[in-house]
Amino acid sequence: MFNRRQFLKSSSLVALTPTVPAFLQQTASATEAEKHERILVVVQLSGGNDGLNTVVPFADEAYQKHRRVLRLPTDRLHKVAEGIGLHPAMENAAELFEDERLSIVQGVGYPNPNRSHDVSMAIWQTARFDREEHNGFGWIGRSLDTLPAPKRNAPSSVLIGNQATPVALRGRKSRSSAFDTIGDMLTDINLRPGPLPNGSASESDGDLSSFINRTTVDAYATADLLTDIVNQKKRESVSYPSSKLASQLRLVSQLIQADMGTRVYYAMQSGYDTHSVQLPSHSRLLRTLSQGLKAFLDDIAAAGLEDRVLVLCFSEFGRQVQENASNGTDHGTAGPVFVAGKSVKGGLLGQHPELETLTNNAPEHTTDFRSVYASVLQEWLRIENAQVSGDFEPLQLFS
Amino acid sequence: MPSTSAILNRWKPSADEPWNFQRVWHLHRRAGFGGTWAELQRDLTDGVGASVDRFLAGESHSVGVPAEFGEMADTIGHAAMTSANIDRLKAWWIYRIIFSPDPLTERLTLMWHNHFATSNVKVDDVEMMWRQNLLFRKHASGAFGDLLTSVVKDPAMLVWLDAAANRKEHPNENLARELMELFTLGEGHYTEDDVKNAAKCVTGWTVSRRAFRDHVQHHDVSQKAVLGKTGAFTGDDLLGILLSRPETSQRIAWRLCDTFLGASVATSDVIDQLAAGLRDHELDIRGAVETILRSNLFFFQKNISTRVAAPVDFVVGSVRALELVDKPPSTLLLAESIDRLGQELFSPPNVFGWKGGRRWINARSMIGRGKFAAALLAGELHYSPLPDDAFQLAKRHTGTNDATETAEFLSKLLLGNGKEPSRTDSLKTTREEEVRRFVGRMLASPESQLC
Repeated sequence: MFNRRQFLKSSSLVALTPTVPAFLQQTASATEAEKHERILVVVQLSGGNDGLNTVVPFADEAYQKHRRVLRLPTDRLHKVAEGIGLHPAMENAAELFEDERLSIVQGVGYPNPNRSHDVSMAIWQTARFDREEHNGFGWIGRSLDTLPAPKRNAPSSVLIGNQATPVALRGRKSRSSAFDTIGDMLTDINLRPGPLPNGSASESDGDLSSFINRTTVDAYATADLLTDIVNQKKRESVSYPSSKLASQLRLVSQLIQADMGTRVYYAMQSGYDTHSVQLPSHSRLLRTLSQGLKAFLDDIAAAGLEDRVLVLCFSEFGRQVQENASNGTDHGTAGPVFVAGKSVKGGLLGQHPELETLTNNAPEHTTDFRSVYASVLQEWLRIENAQVSGDFEPLQLFS
Repeated sequence: MPSTSAILNRWKPSADEPWNFQRVWHLHRRAGFGGTWAELQRDLTDGVGASVDRFLAGESHSVGVPAEFGEMADTIGHAAMTSANIDRLKAWWIYRIIFSPDPLTERLTLMWHNHFATSNVKVDDVEMMWRQNLLFRKHASGAFGDLLTSVVKDPAMLVWLDAAANRKEHPNENLARELMELFTLGEGHYTEDDVKNAAKCVTGWTVSRRAFRDHVQHHDVSQKAVLGKTGAFTGDDLLGILLSRPETSQRIAWRLCDTFLGASVATSDVIDQLAAGLRDHELDIRGAVETILRSNLFFFQKNISTRVAAPVDFVVGSVRALELVDKPPSTLLLAESIDRLGQELFSPPNVFGWKGGRRWINARSMIGRGKFAAALLAGELHYSPLPDDAFQLAKRHTGTNDATETAEFLSKLLLGNGKEPSRTDSLKTTREEEVRRFVGRMLASPESQLC
């Protein structure tokens, strides 16, 4: 089996990378402390989730009025509060809610909402409104920049999926990796490049070739680490449903259980852009989401790690209140955010958006997403100086 | 450094910046998908003017191009369409990209596929995806207005953007929004009210039995205010309004610069200037492409090797450079490799297409590119027979067994700069295995990801 010493010896180039010093300075006590470090798992619902048919204000007359074809039958909703119920397909989420392992923040958005997928997603991912900053660093990457690099040369954040790395994870110093399955990163061929040329270790990623150099070095370092992890076989206590999202969450669980050291995992569930024939597809998406979430949290609990793991689910916007003629909905504004794990307070937080006064057929937000981030960063990840959330007071998400 | 106005002027070789192997290589990787040794040497001899002419005339590829290319491609395309298997359609396109004498048209077709990103994941109809691709190719370098008009009435596009039930009672905003945000003006150049009103203009446009239909009874004939103009506009009127806006020409100029120069090489001044040229010539794509390919901007030293090779560029570039054309690898397996590296043809990730640039590069894709190189060199992407390998190729072109000369030839061919990459071990002998490993490491190196 491959251990740290062999790993160090085998990759002389790693010794030249900017990310290594923290790794070399690692002490036994630091490793012990890291065992208690908290982990954030972000699930991005891509495409703009119809929040109104997720956390349903069934008693609201406006809901009855604007949703004719798409109105969900009241008797099949999972009631979570007076006049509010979860979509019928969200049985597992309702169970988590009942267990106080799920908090739902209602009506989350930001001022002057943008209805472009791209721009709104960039706003959520960077927590910045200036377009210039949308290709810069993300709310998670900037926060991870303020922490020491994880042990064993592990990346600070990992995207599980075959998409491009989201800007949310991009940081100035912190490393982000991406893979879909462990197999993607296991390689028996050694094509790693030679040592970085002199001087390039201090260059920033601003320069394109430095960026590619660094990514290549990171890639082979992560590959070595994963080879190591795969060799420590872990038993699984829970069965996961068969879906892409569930298998991604399962991989996250394996990596957490293998004590990889990464602090933030990110996965995406796409398909929420339901402009037409929304009912069946939306139902399938929400079922997949809540089943995957429940299986993941149960698995983490069985592994005795539930005190360390929090899941955050968000979407770039909600959808319009009035359905369209294709039995779907068009781009809107605010929507619900899910925060799940043993540590959450549970229950509904914030106000459901007001459906009587609409701008372009969509409501005003009632909670700013940056106060959700402030709570997750400060109270969960215990990062004080992340410069992400500005003056936003953290929401009281945890008990 | 020439002023902004001169930066789009015709580049002329000088003693400092000569027409050399590196620039020929650059032209082939950017305008096409990479040249073979013989094509590169031919263009090095003939000069920059003749080389660009060849691309514009669709004659830049000669090695491996079958005499009956057009018929072969049509036969393969037809078979793919009949099979209703999208993987076979991908293989058809890869076949075109590798074997067409006219790689510039394929480059532009790919660009439009990205601009008008439509995914078969939703369309779920190989024939419609095939027809859309033919449309992109037909109008690839014509007037943008013709392309736009054809594409927004293209059945695959209408299915993709939910126009199936786009009626006056409840217009669907999807087509109208993407038309403004992605196809023409760009984000920030219209309001939400413009989107609403534009959606009314295209009510009635729909698709039935794989064909465009304009159902007048579903068209909203009311007055609509779009971008400061008011009238009882139809969908075609809307297109006219959008085509007349300067932002549209700027977006096309940006798209062309992004394709041929890479992200953020062209300044806003350059884009403005190119956009003005487009407006003067009724948005003629070909003229703008020619301007770019002949420009100072394109050939300046500092703009060479500054663009991240997309998976298609990387895979096809390797195949063509290594001349794997007589006994080619399976185009199905090549398409699958390209999928795995993140560029699934006919299934871009969303309406924005592939964003490209740095987004192509992450841990997974770097390991993946290394794995591809190893598989290609080991003949794993070939059914049979196995191809000539890099060792034989070097020997054929250099006529030597000398390790240094072989290494020099291979790095020139694969990296274009004629310098041995600093980060791969040097080649000590010309033993077959060693040469193959040398090429594998070179393809997997950071340097190979730029072109």
